[in-house]
Amino acid sequence: MVPIACQARNVSVAYRADPVLRSVNVTVPVGSVMGIIGPNGSGKSTLIKAMLGLVKPLTGTSEFFGQPLDQVRHRVGYMPQSASVDWDFPTTVIDLVTMGTYGELGWIRRPGKAERARAMAAMEQTGIPELAYRQIGELSGGQRQRAFLARTLVQAPDLFFLDEPFQGIDAKSQQAMIDVLRDLVAQEKTCVIVHHHLATVRDYCDHVTLLNGHVVASGPADQAFTKENIRIAYEAREGAEAFLETAA
Amino acid sequence: MIDPIEFFGNHIFRMVFFGTSVTGLVAGALGSFAYLRKQSLISDVIGHSALPGALLAFLIAVAVLDANGRNMLGLIAGAVITGTLAALFANSIAVRTKIAIDTAMAISLTVFFGAGMILLRIISNGPFPGKGGIDDYLFGNASVITVADLATSIAVGAVALVLMLVFWKEFTLRTFDPVFSTVLGFRAGVVDTVMFATIVIAIVIGVKAVGVVLMIAFVVTPPAAARQWTSTLPGLVALSGAFGAIGSGVGAYLSVALGNVPTGPLIVLTLFAVFLVSLLVSPRRSIITAALRRARAREALRRELLAETADR
Repeated sequence: MVPIACQARNVSVAYRADPVLRSVNVTVPVGSVMGIIGPNGSGKSTLIKAMLGLVKPLTGTSEFFGQPLDQVRHRVGYMPQSASVDWDFPTTVIDLVTMGTYGELGWIRRPGKAERARAMAAMEQTGIPELAYRQIGELSGGQRQRAFLARTLVQAPDLFFLDEPFQGIDAKSQQAMIDVLRDLVAQEKTCVIVHHHLATVRDYCDHVTLLNGHVVASGPADQAFTKENIRIAYEAREGAEAFLETAA
Repeated sequence: MIDPIEFFGNHIFRMVFFGTSVTGLVAGALGSFAYLRKQSLISDVIGHSALPGALLAFLIAVAVLDANGRNMLGLIAGAVITGTLAALFANSIAVRTKIAIDTAMAISLTVFFGAGMILLRIISNGPFPGKGGIDDYLFGNASVITVADLATSIAVGAVALVLMLVFWKEFTLRTFDPVFSTVLGFRAGVVDTVMFATIVIAIVIGVKAVGVVLMIAFVVTPPAAARQWTSTLPGLVALSGAFGAIGSGVGAYLSVALGNVPTGPLIVLTLFAVFLVSLLVSPRRSIITAALRRARAREALRRELLAETADR
């Protein structure tokens, strides 16, 4: 049996009285890349936010390496959507990436040389070391994503939650992103990726959870990511129809 | 015009100068975080809503404690309490109802300020010792600042600035990326409470010198001006504090030099001048060079497009 990296049990989320997620059960084995796939508004981001305690679930619990998040926070990394922050904030890329060390520093202690050196190393991994002293406002969409990914790498987690890492990204950044993902897989790290581009799901993910307010299917890509399940998750949405036709 | 030697030789002028400069420094430095969190308007709610608190503090001091109603510490405490209540009230309306936050803030500001105006009338009609000039809380009167007031302002301001320095990392992270901050294990409630407390202090510290109506300018204008010149957070906080302190000092000096001009409004105009110059001539963000750059780029694009069609 492969050990479990994280697990959502019976997780439901409602904004006011409107259900967004109904009784979601997802199990992510250690070493897998789990794609969270579904149409807009299907609750993809909400699911990982609920698991990470950023949104209060109405029912259910989440476990990470068999424990509640508070016990194992240092082993869990998170890359938010890049649109979630103000890129005109007055700071440099290296300072942004160094924020990944703040968790282990804890309250009040400041980052020093060692933390900045680690930030630099992470930027080399994502291919942006030359941007270290740039203003974050000067970065392109793809560079922003790579800076955010570097910040997540600096956290040195065993489990990565990546929310739309391929959103608004150029080909070069996409390749850098994929290389890092391959490295992580080779190191037996686990990734949970929110992704909405059906055609590339198979390239990145070996496990898939198809969402549409509830879990349509969840498991190894071969079993979960089937035409039938995609059709159910996307109902009759045009994008999915086009994808299914080309795939057939 | 009064010369500087004469100005600083006069006790009252010295108090006006240092009282407003300390206010400017603290409000400018801490205002940077309000600015970056886009909380300028809520800061104005807090400022106006400080009025009933400051007046209640006066009433409690003279009617209950039989003490000096203008005690700076009591004044700040009262202002902090009603200012905070007003901000929480606005937020809870916005969260619990479908009423938008700008409406909620306007409702909260006016109800607290209105209550303050009624208290002001009650005090001026009642037999309270030391009520003379109580309406200075509206527009401030820097010339009544005592040495004790100045010492209190410095002490309270220093506490707020030290909190900012101690929690610098947490403030920065929470301001830039609140969600990531929570994932890393920094309790949102704890960081927000400390940061909110420092910002409220920055706002209400000017109650006596500049009054509740214009205090917001001390919090909002310096960081907006400073952002034009600097692109680091330490730079922003330092420069904004410097703009606040120097702008206040210059404004205070001018208000005396020009004779009988109210200090608070003149400082606000001085800060606005700093802001205007920053908008126009700052090296990287000047609106003039930005407009020129855009016009040039558009012209180049136009030529390119015309050349393309000519080729065809």
